[in-house]
Formats: sequence, C-alpha cells, structure tokens
Amino acid sequence: MNNIWITTWYTVREALARKVFLFFIGLSALAIIISAVVVNVLSDSALISGVTTQDNNIIFEEIAASIQLIIITPLASLCILLAIFSSASFVPHMLEKGNIDLLLSKPISRSQLLFGKFLGGLLVVLINVGFLIIGVWLVIAIRFSIYNFTFLSIILSVTFTFAVLYSIIVLFGVVTQGSILGMMAAYFIFLILSPLLYAGKVQFGELITSDFLKSVIDFFYYIVPKTSELMGQITMNLALGKGIIDWQPILTSLAFMFAAIGYAIFIFNKKDF
Amino acid sequence: MKAVETKDLTKIYSSSFGKKKVQALVELNLDVESGLIFGLLGPNGAGKTTFIKLLLGITFPTAGNAKILEESLSNYSVKKKIGYLPENHKYPPYLKGGEVLKFFGKLSGMNGLDLDKKIDELLELVKLSQWKKTKVKAYSKGMMQRLGLAQALINDPELIFLDEPTDGVDPIGRKEIRDILVELKSRQKTIFLNSHLLSEVELITDRVGILNKGKLLREGTVKELTEKKEEYKIVIEGNAADLDSISFDNSFTRISDGSYSVKVADINELNKTIDQLRSRSILLKEIIPMKNTLEEMFISLITESEKNIK
Ligand SMILES: Nc1ncnc2c1ncn2[C@@H]1O[C@H](COP(=O)(O)OP(=O)(O)O)[C@@H](O)[C@H]1O
Ligand SMILES: [Mg+2]
Repeated sequence: MNNIWITTWYTVREALARKVFLFFIGLSALAIIISAVVVNVLSDSALISGVTTQDNNIIFEEIAASIQLIIITPLASLCILLAIFSSASFVPHMLEKGNIDLLLSKPISRSQLLFGKFLGGLLVVLINVGFLIIGVWLVIAIRFSIYNFTFLSIILSVTFTFAVLYSIIVLFGVVTQGSILGMMAAYFIFLILSPLLYAGKVQFGELITSDFLKSVIDFFYYIVPKTSELMGQITMNLALGKGIIDWQPILTSLAFMFAAIGYAIFIFNKKDF
Repeated sequence: MKAVETKDLTKIYSSSFGKKKVQALVELNLDVESGLIFGLLGPNGAGKTTFIKLLLGITFPTAGNAKILEESLSNYSVKKKIGYLPENHKYPPYLKGGEVLKFFGKLSGMNGLDLDKKIDELLELVKLSQWKKTKVKAYSKGMMQRLGLAQALINDPELIFLDEPTDGVDPIGRKEIRDILVELKSRQKTIFLNSHLLSEVELITDRVGILNKGKLLREGTVKELTEKKEEYKIVIEGNAADLDSISFDNSFTRISDGSYSVKVADINELNKTIDQLRSRSILLKEIIPMKNTLEEMFISLITESEKNIK
C-alpha cells in the first residue's frame, strides 16, 4: 500500500510540474469568479425569465443545477481533453531507459508501480475537477441559498469518465512505450466513437433497419467504454438529483477499465527493460 | 555468504520481429562472495549490463537462474538490501537533488528523520551539499554520476551494483569515487562493478571476471589473472660481463644492466637456471615473478577467444 501511495504521490508531483494542470486550475478559478459576479448581478426574475413552471421551489433548485451544469459541462470536458493530453506521457516517461531500471531495482512490485501511476493520474484529475465543481457549486449555492449536496456527486462521474480513458492510455503506454497512440485512441473514443455508438444504439436505434448493422453497432456499443453517456446523461441525472437511472453504461465501462488495467499490468510484468 | 550466485544464466534477446537474435549471456555460472569488490570486465556489448539487469529483475532470463543475497529473484523485498547505479540513469527533471534521494529513499522503505539525515550525509559524501536545492536538470554529467552514487547508497545497502560508475567523471572525481568504494568495502559491503576501464578496476577490485560475447572467459583475483606463470625477472649484483657467454637451455634475455628476464616451463627449470648462475659465483639479488597489467592480459584473452570463435 505504501509503495503504491509513493508512486501515486510522485505522479501528482510530475503532473504539477507540467503546467497544463496549473493552467486548468487557473481557468477554473476564472470561471468561478466570473460566475460569482454574473449570478450576483442578475436579479431572481432575470434568472427565472423564460422558465414557465409554476412551483417556485422546484424552479429554483432546477435553475441552480442548470446554471451549474452550463458552466461546468464545457469546462469539465475541456479538463478531460487536457488531462488526456498531459497524462499520456506519465507511463512512457516512467518506462524511459535509465528511469525504469532504477525503479525496478527498488523493493516495489511492477504491479504496484503501474497501479500507482494509474491512481496518480486519477488523483490529479480528481483534484482539478473537484476544484472546478465545488467552486461553481458554492457560488450558485450561496446565491440561491440552496445547498444541494448530491450535485457534488458529478465530481465522481466526471473523474470516472477520465479513469476509463486513462486506462486505455496506460495500456497503450505500456505496449508502445510512447504517448501518441494512447492519446489518439482516447481522443478517438471520447470525441468520435462513443458519441457515434451512442447515437447509433440509443438515439437513432429505431431508424436503422439493417439487422447486420444493428448487431455490429450492438457489439461495439457494449465493448467500447461509454464516455459519452457518462459525461452526458449520467452526469446530468446526478446533477439534477435523479440519481443513477441506468447502471449499464457504468458497469460495462468499469469492466472495460479493469480489463485494460489488468492487461496492462500483465504485459508490464513480463516486459524486458 | 554468497552475494551473487548464478547457474547457467542465459539471455537471448529477440527483436520484435523475432528474426534477429542476440545471445547476450550464455550459460553463465558466477559466484561472488560477500564483502568483496568484484569487477566484471568486458568490451562494449559483452553482456555486463544485461547480467546486472537479470539479477535485479529488470530483464528476465531465457534460461538458468540466479540468486542475490541467497534469495530468489522473484522476491522483490530482497531489493531493500540492494543499491544500484544504472549505466544511463535519468531522474525526474523537475526534482531537486535532495528530492531525488528522498524519492528513492522512500521507495526503498525509508522515512522521516532517518531519511533526511541520510540524505545530508550522502550529499556531503559525494560533494553535492550545495546543490541539494538545485533541480537535477541543471546537473552536469559528473554531478549526475555522483548523485547516482548517493542514490545507490541511500538505503545503506549490503550489496551495491554499479554499472560504469566513473563514466563521464573527471580524474579527480574518479579517485574520489574509488575512495568511497574502498571505504564501503571496509564496512563489509559487497560491491559489484561493471567496467571497461581496466586500469581503474585493477586499483580496487579483489576479484574480477572477464566477459566477452556473453561468455565468462576467466574469473579470479587480479593477481591470479595477471601473473605470467612462466616468466621471471632476475636481478644480479654488479654487472657480470661473462653472462653472455653462457648458453642457457631457456630464453635468457637482458632487460637492462644487471637485470634479466627468463622464461621457464616450471619451477625446476627456474632453479636449474639459478644453479647455472650460482656455479659461476654470480650473486643474485632478486627473483621476481613477472606480471601483466590487467589490460594486457585482457586484450590477449579477448583476442584469443575471438580466434577460437573463428
Ligand atoms: N533490450 C535489448 N534488446 C536487444 N538486444 C539487446 C538489448 N539490450 C542489450 N542487447 C544486446 O545484448 C548485448 C549485450 O549488451 P549489454 O549487456 O548492454 O553489454 P555491455 O553492458 O557489456 O556493454 C549487446 O549485443 C546488445 O546489443
Ligand atoms: Mg553496459
């Protein structure tokens, strides 16, 4: 446990040394300040305008959550995009000649080493995402005096989205000892494949008539991690206090993540350096 | 106790396409007793680095097995008692000198004040105290090497592997490193040294192994390996002019005034020569067994083994 923690902590330090995360923290701080100014300048009636529901209490809760989401969603997505970019080099750096030799000569197992790297990447993103979400949440909560703590659970759904992508990066990092392929795979899944499969399976499922195409989409839908649902539907439901309605995307993505990390550790354990 | 023990240790690297194979080590059997400075010598590509990597579990053997400190390699906790300075070591460039030592100290299971004290002590030892708070990316090659040595000693290891430790270090720095190694030996540490710099190794090692193309050609004390068993230098009193007129059974050649070299098959023959000299009342002052330098022995050994391969 101690070994894993040391590796985790030094991965966080490596991340801090790379300016990307600091840049993101700065960006989040800016977003928090701007939203604080905006929501305090606008009057209640200006904020409610356009909403036609009658019940005022529900309105305020939903408005609060919606405003929070509007600010958070693009920034959290940006955070994941940046995190993919900057965490892609963690494993390849570790595997560099002269560095890995030394690490492997220490009383730490290879599994601990790789798992620590994985946790380190997650911790960095958790800190970043947590800062952004708690900050924005606090601004809105104070303005409306609505302290809806369940909203904060989206810190976990956003971090989990990254965790799944990061498992791919770690796997490619171990196999290729480079960062490019892992980064490309993560971006491809996050930006193209997962949204496409979601559309094909869930949104436009009815419109597809070919049985063959349907089963192809099905096959890939269940295998590929569902980052688009994790960041979309599931995060939204959590934010609005509806809880988790469909566990399937979470469980299949979790299975994918364990498989990817497990396979990465398996390969790492046999690799010559 | 045996610090290192290998049995038929073999490593064959195959390239990713499986076509080209490199036999880096061939059925190597080598034991190193603890408490010694052992030097593994060999030209570039001999397999020295591979040998250490196999012992530390950085690379896995194709066949055979090995033990360090009488433990099997699969037991990673034995590495608490090991120090290692790799050939091309790299440290996280964002860490400062002291932080590098802290990181590896922690990974070796150390903590708190003990570790802090040890860090200062080692930085002092390798003369980097005033660089403690400088990021390692600003270090020169020689400084990196000294930091690497401190790193290898951070956990006060029993067995220390050093791969080309004086690489890139200036002559004064080399002397300092040698002094540190000798001091470590006096504290009962075992030091396993890889080098292609023979003249250096000769100065401090107790035993050496000569490796070429993955095969151990010779192993023994420096004295054993460098003694030319059949050649002696004989120094006589005065300058016997009539020595040239004697016909010896063996090659008796003049090196300089009063000193001669004689090549003999065995000790009997040596004594026959002495009898011949004594029968002419020549006074003998010294009879000295002749030595190769390690380097001469090394070169002749390697060239011989190359010939045998062809
Ligand atoms: N990872 C590797 N993959 C393929 N061949 C290797 C690898 N490492 C070393 N070799 C080869 O094994 C041989 C021994 O190398 P090495 O142990 O580094 O020798 P030395 O340290 O004595 O210079 C060399 O021919 C080298 O090219
Ligand atoms: Mg080498």
